Amino acid sequence: MRAGHGVEHAGLRVAAVAVVGLVLVLAVGVPGLVPVPFLLVGGVYAAQLVADDAPLDAAAPAFAAGLVVGVELAYWSLDERDGAKGEPGDDLRRSAYVAGLGVAALLVAAVVLALVDAVRARGLGVDVAGAAAASLALLAVVLFARGRGPAG
Amino acid sequence: MTRRGTARVQGYALLAAVSLLAALALRRPEVAVVAAPFALLLAAGTSFSAEPRIDARLALSTTRTLEGDDVEAELALDPGSAIGRLEVRLDLPDDVELVEGRRAFSLALRAEARPVPLTLRCARWGVFDVGRLALRATDVFRLVVWERSLDAPVLLKAYPRLEPLRRVVSATETQAFGGNEVSRRPGDGIEYADLRDFAPGDRVRSINWRATARRQRLVVNQRHPERNTDVVILVDSFVDLAAGDRSTLDDTVRAAATLATRYLERRDRVGLVGYGGILRWLRPGMGAAQRYRLIETLLETGVEPTFTWRDVNLIPARVLGRKAIVIALTPLVDPRFVTMLEDLRARRFDLVVIEIDPSAVVAPGPGRGGALARRLWLLEREVLRGRLERAGIAVGRFGDAASLDEALEGVRTFRRYATRARV
Repeated sequence: MRAGHGVEHAGLRVAAVAVVGLVLVLAVGVPGLVPVPFLLVGGVYAAQLVADDAPLDAAAPAFAAGLVVGVELAYWSLDERDGAKGEPGDDLRRSAYVAGLGVAALLVAAVVLALVDAVRARGLGVDVAGAAAASLALLAVVLFARGRGPAG
Repeated sequence: MTRRGTARVQGYALLAAVSLLAALALRRPEVAVVAAPFALLLAAGTSFSAEPRIDARLALSTTRTLEGDDVEAELALDPGSAIGRLEVRLDLPDDVELVEGRRAFSLALRAEARPVPLTLRCARWGVFDVGRLALRATDVFRLVVWERSLDAPVLLKAYPRLEPLRRVVSATETQAFGGNEVSRRPGDGIEYADLRDFAPGDRVRSINWRATARRQRLVVNQRHPERNTDVVILVDSFVDLAAGDRSTLDDTVRAAATLATRYLERRDRVGLVGYGGILRWLRPGMGAAQRYRLIETLLETGVEPTFTWRDVNLIPARVLGRKAIVIALTPLVDPRFVTMLEDLRARRFDLVVIEIDPSAVVAPGPGRGGALARRLWLLEREVLRGRLERAGIAVGRFGDAASLDEALEGVRTFRRYATRARV
């Protein structure tokens, strides 16, 4: 633990709350609340980064991959409540898919981190690019939510 | 097909957006790195998913079956392209069981037709639509879902199972066509009837030579011809008393189907009258085609609540003929049907009542009051039976305590002694 003791203890408490929250969300079965515990864990990570103030954290891709796998496993457990039983070997294929997703997330995050390291740019341009990316992500959510209905 | 995003779309977008905003606010690029896989997954999943074209049809090996028998079926799934995951839900009626297969299942489909074998079983008689399906296809990333319901009717008719029955009740009057019933009137037949003097036109083989020798004049044998009869089955559809998987209407329809089949086998003409909330009738007819018509009409029998009193005059005379034997199947619960029976008897119809005993499906109420009420109810039913029998109507009881055979035996005994009493 590189952060100060205060941040470390707070981080542990928040992580515990996130775990309990995730268990509750899965027990009750509310898919819309699945991201919340993972946002809490992400917040703890971000707080540690700010507290450490290291130039660049090489563990970021592993953290990203772990987050992707965790989110996908959470959604999988909610999918199983559907009652539509799959064919023999479905669970194995799904596990392989989740593992592959984790590996792909690790690679993508590693490439992005390498690019960031290479560029190391700061300033208004980077801020604008980041804001635009965040806005695009939110726009995608809004468009998709409004785009429900008969296709074609 | 209806297209919508799954909960993953909102979840991934929320994680990506919050991470990017946090990266901006905290000026830490690692937080943006965490958002990258989610954003890429979102972009790839929503951009490259194409609407699947699925054709699904349920085909039955037969559209007619007996209640309780298995029917092989095949669900043919024909996707235009490969589908990562297709969920199929069969919306079967309550009385149709799935013996082999699952009501809800999922599978991965390649771009080729795939049959899914199923085995269905109808727990009771009736007409069932088994063709309703719900399909749900998801893409590989499970971000997009396409849903569609198929409502093309696939009708499966389950015929009522026949009760064991050895003998039926004979009508008092016969008709003009050949059949299995020995007529009272003399004519050409097998059963010996009487002797009479020879008349021009009589056959030589019918001469009774012993009687001729005794009387010193030509005497011929008279015989009873075999004729058919007209039978009208009267079904009480005012009320259905049910408990669990037993119901008086089920027993009524099974008994009606059994009687109709047996009488048609004797070359009798059989008609049907459904007397209840909906008045429906089928003119008497003969043969296998009439059997199917009768069974198909019985399959439509159901209880339609009504407060209307119906007059027997509403039934056409060509359906309810004067010489027909009328066999009424009823639990003797609704007073309108009982009044109609007494009306028929007063009009001198040859009437028989098969009481569909409801005592097995009517449970006593709680406590001593409930037990006493049940005893009073059973006594009232005895009084009603006595009243009908005093009016000359034979009443046989069919239920848990007595089979249809035994019920008809009781009716035959009553009619035998009642006939002698009249003579």
